[in-house]
Amino acid sequence: MALLEVKNLDVRFAVRGGDLTALRGISFTLDKGERLGLVGESGAGKSVAAFSVLNLIAKPGYIAGGQILFEGKDLAAMSERELRKIRGNRIAMIFQDPMMTLNPVLTIGTQMVEAILAQRKISKKEARAIALDRLQKVQIPSPEKRLDQYPHELSGGMRQRVIIAIALLLDPEIIIADEPTTALDVTIQAEIMDLLLNLCEQENVALMLITHDLGVVSQVTQRMLVMYSGRIIEQGPTREIINDAQHPYTQGLINALPQMGEPGERLFQIPGSMPSLKNVPSGCPFHPRCNFATEQCKQSMPEYVRSGNVDVACYEVANLIEQEKRMQEAES
Amino acid sequence: MTSPLVSIRGLEKRFDLSGSLLEQITFEGGRFRRKQEAVHAINGVDLEVQKGEALCVVGESGCGKSTVARTVMGLLSPSAGEIHYGGQRIDNLDGKAALPYRRKMQMIFQNPYASLNPRMTIQQTLEEPIRFHHPDWSTIQVRDKIHEVMHSVGIDPDWGSRFGHEFSGGQRQRIAIARALAVDPEFIVADEPISALDVSIQAQVLNLLMDAQESRGLTYLFITHDLAVVEHFGTRVAVMYLGRVCELADTATLFAAPRHPYTQALLSAIPKLEDDRPSHIRLKGEVPTPVNLPSGCVFHGRCPYANDRCRQEVPRLIATDGGTQVACHAVEEGRL
Repeated sequence: MALLEVKNLDVRFAVRGGDLTALRGISFTLDKGERLGLVGESGAGKSVAAFSVLNLIAKPGYIAGGQILFEGKDLAAMSERELRKIRGNRIAMIFQDPMMTLNPVLTIGTQMVEAILAQRKISKKEARAIALDRLQKVQIPSPEKRLDQYPHELSGGMRQRVIIAIALLLDPEIIIADEPTTALDVTIQAEIMDLLLNLCEQENVALMLITHDLGVVSQVTQRMLVMYSGRIIEQGPTREIINDAQHPYTQGLINALPQMGEPGERLFQIPGSMPSLKNVPSGCPFHPRCNFATEQCKQSMPEYVRSGNVDVACYEVANLIEQEKRMQEAES
Repeated sequence: MTSPLVSIRGLEKRFDLSGSLLEQITFEGGRFRRKQEAVHAINGVDLEVQKGEALCVVGESGCGKSTVARTVMGLLSPSAGEIHYGGQRIDNLDGKAALPYRRKMQMIFQNPYASLNPRMTIQQTLEEPIRFHHPDWSTIQVRDKIHEVMHSVGIDPDWGSRFGHEFSGGQRQRIAIARALAVDPEFIVADEPISALDVSIQAQVLNLLMDAQESRGLTYLFITHDLAVVEHFGTRVAVMYLGRVCELADTATLFAAPRHPYTQALLSAIPKLEDDRPSHIRLKGEVPTPVNLPSGCVFHGRCPYANDRCRQEVPRLIATDGGTQVACHAVEEGRL
């Protein structure tokens, strides 16, 4: 059994003039110790997907259907009380902006001890010892001193280390990291990603990494999902997708990267932009921007087909696979 | 070599932190003292931008790259040093004398959500700079010009009556580019023009900037932190660290053989699609504050090759055999 299994998840936002569907039929699994990347552009629904795993969707958003099974129990159907035992304890979260996540008027130590005492019945002294241990794990220089410092006394990279230390406090099974390095400089980003990867491996923690950076996904994760307009359009082993993307959107995304073009030449560009949730196109949401779109794409959302180890939702890919099959049959 | 279009000479910029005179005065050890503190954003930068090239300035936050852009544009006045445009010193010109240069030099900002006036239609946004710089133009001339620039950036001229908020981020950046192009500039300073945009939109805007450069013969000063963009777009690259240029080279040369230890670390930190695991050069510590600059080479505290000379003497940009200019004692002495 997978550690986490999301089945057919629908998330909607109730706004004036009807519901907006932010996630449609999202299904994926996460095994113990596995590292999974969620990739997509802004508005694709990757953050909503991450938040809904912890049932943290704020009103007017709500889970309209589907299940989120953590060790077989459905988080979508749990009471707040039961959820609180899981959040931060079994599943921890790391957010993008370390300054927004830390309380500016409490010392690092206070915040860490508070998080431990919310879940464990131990003394403050013991909690402080755990906090110190985690700060050492994230390789913060002079960790004892940091416990008594305030967030503003630390640099951005150091703050993100503290956030990671807080996520590790209660030995979670899963860490969900929502763009953990987007607010940081490249050299700091490399260090933080390195740290996160090593810690997840050492402690055998599963990682769900939300990012728009395909380079980071390629370095850190084993499997990846590509999201577009609230749907997963392609998922499978990271290496396989990066080397040989099947969906036209994933291909476009990779080819649009400056490192894929010859210097001085024009880059590959996907025309148009991601549709807003208010007017998601019919059928496959990518069809208005797709070079391969047919009448069929405009009418219905394609089912997933398997190509290698990758699941893809695209009629064009399905047709190609079908053709290949027929060729092989004809040969034999 | 032909004379450069823009040259920056010995540029320095400090931002005063200490406030008014009264706030500076403290009582210490029985007597009054005046204390002054400043952020040393740029500490002696010399750069030349050749006509027709795209000179990229890269570096991490706080290295002074945006301050260079703003000082060149005259949005900030330099604390020391000179800016020359086509041989003429322009940083000391006042309003009227600076006017022709303001038309020739235009700027594109990072955030198209903030750089477009929310209360102006696109038509008005594009009309304003044209009317300002060409007061003698007829309404028809102005209208034709607006149509031409909107068309060239891929925005339907019929959308002129719409407001900025009706457009997506990528479209807004196109409009901001159109506004810069509207007065037929020669030189464009682009300060992180694509960082706020999504990957697929970044490619569109980057292509647009390259098209404009080709068709209008533009010269760019391109500020960015994204090295992949630099490799694709730049003719030459200047790498900045704590307000100084530490390496200056042709793009291909810099990416093939970075010389300065900081450039090497920076290049190794880019996550690459081919990598299965992060592999990067680790730097000690973090960027020091620009309030109290380190003595000698600003990078010495984090540099694995630093020695006593690095801690005392500021390295100058020196040309090497490979054609790069590097400010590093270790490279100069052949230790690296």
